[in-house]
Amino acid sequence: MRFIAILAILNVISALVGLSVGSSNIGIYDVVKVLTGDSNENVKQIVLNCRLPRLLLAMLVGSSLATAGCSMQAFFRNPLADPYILGISSGACVGVALVIILEIATIQNIMISAFLMALITAFLVYKIGSLARFREQSYAILLAGIAISCFMNGLASILIYLASQSMHLVVFWIMGSFSNTTWNDVFFLAPVSILCILFIFLNSWNLNAILMGDEHAKAVGLDVERFQKELLAVVSLLTASAVAVSGIIGFVGIIIPHTMRLIVGESHQTLIPATILFGSAFMPLVDVIARTTTAGELPVGAITAMLGAPFFVYLLLRGL
Amino acid sequence: MKLVVENLTVKLQSREILRDVTFKVESGEVVSLLGPNGSGKSTMLRTIFGILKPIKGVVLYDGKALNSISEASKVFGYLPQENPEIGLKVLDVVLLGRTPYLSGIKRAKKKDIEIALKALEDVGLKGFENRKFNELSGGEKQKVMIARVFAQEPKVMLLDEPTAHLDISAQIEILEIVRRKVRDGCSALIAMHDINLASSFSDKILMIKNGKIVYAGTPDEVISEETIRDVYDAEVIVKRHGSRVYVIPKRKTSENGVRVHIICGGGSGRDLIYMLSDRGYKISAGVLNVLDSDWETVVEVGGEVVSEAPFTEISDESHAKNLEMIEKADFVVLTNLSIGKGNLKNLYAAKYASKLRKLIVIEKTSFKSRNFVGVEAEKIYDEVVRGSIVVGSEKDAIRILDRERYANN
Repeated sequence: MRFIAILAILNVISALVGLSVGSSNIGIYDVVKVLTGDSNENVKQIVLNCRLPRLLLAMLVGSSLATAGCSMQAFFRNPLADPYILGISSGACVGVALVIILEIATIQNIMISAFLMALITAFLVYKIGSLARFREQSYAILLAGIAISCFMNGLASILIYLASQSMHLVVFWIMGSFSNTTWNDVFFLAPVSILCILFIFLNSWNLNAILMGDEHAKAVGLDVERFQKELLAVVSLLTASAVAVSGIIGFVGIIIPHTMRLIVGESHQTLIPATILFGSAFMPLVDVIARTTTAGELPVGAITAMLGAPFFVYLLLRGL
Repeated sequence: MKLVVENLTVKLQSREILRDVTFKVESGEVVSLLGPNGSGKSTMLRTIFGILKPIKGVVLYDGKALNSISEASKVFGYLPQENPEIGLKVLDVVLLGRTPYLSGIKRAKKKDIEIALKALEDVGLKGFENRKFNELSGGEKQKVMIARVFAQEPKVMLLDEPTAHLDISAQIEILEIVRRKVRDGCSALIAMHDINLASSFSDKILMIKNGKIVYAGTPDEVISEETIRDVYDAEVIVKRHGSRVYVIPKRKTSENGVRVHIICGGGSGRDLIYMLSDRGYKISAGVLNVLDSDWETVVEVGGEVVSEAPFTEISDESHAKNLEMIEKADFVVLTNLSIGKGNLKNLYAAKYASKLRKLIVIEKTSFKSRNFVGVEAEKIYDEVVRGSIVVGSEKDAIRILDRERYANN
């Protein structure tokens, strides 16, 4: 409980940092003034319509990806499972690129298309990885994920190439970024991601059960097949919605849950809330790094990859 | 309150795994399923629990069929064979046994935690609740899994090889824990590999072969050399101690062509007979009274015996036969036997062997303490010893036999 409180405080700090750092010279003092309603219109405009939606979106995306990663690790009983590694993000990406090339890119269409492609990818990975001959091999699911991820990335590249006039936009979007966030994105993402995260939070008991293995989960009376289907859909939806608004931000689903596991342990009753809160505190901070280290903006996805890949190798070396 | 299984037939990928299986388990009974790998033991447990659907037949508890896994999990405590490798805390694992009793948003209530802690105490793991599951020993892990089953408050436990991969003390502990629970009012159906453990811990045994129950009954009714040969295609020796049954594998040793005649009696030759027979020696013994324990041992290993009726003195006729055997033998061993009037002639036989220079004498205790005849026997024994090799144990005797055998080859 104390640790959850610490995470909550971390969120407040992260939010304040997120709001008070940026290209225009508006610091924490100005932010406080905006919050108390005592500032000029210009500053207010930047804080409320630029930084605040961006902050909220980063928080939501961080929580979504972290929670998705955490539940996939239970689902596949593999500590290296994550929406990015298993190609679900890439699947969603193909969905987005499809919509852009067809020039029907409203946020709803992007979302629906990304979700469908993410779901198809997740299902494929699951089916291949759970073939009887792979059952006892924890690498199988990863290899299946990598193969499908490569395929989807290739497909996305072709689509991007075809969409030549808006190519650099799409490329930058794929690298993952929170720039140009509007309230629209937040209003769109918030209900989907909050509902999905809530579903996972309420099912943390069942996540513990499937962590034991299908047979053991059935033994305690869980309808494993149904729960797995629901979970696969929810995780795909979480990933797809995050990808739809912010592109591909990899490894968040690995870094956050594992760091939390080291601190609060494996039980999902505490792990899921900790993951949600750490995800929402972590992502805005990375975003701050992205937009302050250079004159322009680094892609957030590139930074998480730089942080996440060594972490992945560490987990690999520690043994699956 | 009983589990009834009727005409259960299960097909997996168009192959019949179970065929027309019918049996029942009464409350307070431990029933073991024995059978070779792939005979259908696990399939049986999974079908009873409801994970697999039979194409024919029913499973009834207390006269009712259970239609879903969530219903079944309140009646059956099913424990699959393989344990997961997870870092959950022990208490979290045991608490999962409360899943059938939680609804809506599943959270452990105070009562659930009490039940889980009690279950841990019942399996002897009090104080383990905050340990990590994957840091426990194999036996402890299995006990935690049993505690999970207990937390489910089952009426019938369905345990799939709960003692696999465990050392003997953990195996016994696990089965003791299960027995105790059964005594407190439930029953258990256990798939097992170890016939000896099964027969000492079960009330009933079901032997399965190719998905059919071929033998059923109490351990001493069911376990025999014939049934084991039939079900497992293995050659064993079955020993009975009261109502208990022990199975010993028959060693397939090739005969080494060396004949050893053993002069023994009253159990003094038992160990030597087994050891020699294991090493491929051809064994004969005599003269022994029928039903003497050494007589039984020789018969068991398939050796030749010069026999005398129970509780009678050795006749001249038997004695003559004994001398014949001694002549045929390559070596003769006189064990640490007691000499009375009834078997005094065996001492003369030993003297004969010593004259032929083929006698080894095993002397563990002084002859005086084993002599119930008097000076006459003492004198003969002295002569026997003079012409022979005297050793202090069976092992020494065998060492000499092996050495001589190699020397002759």
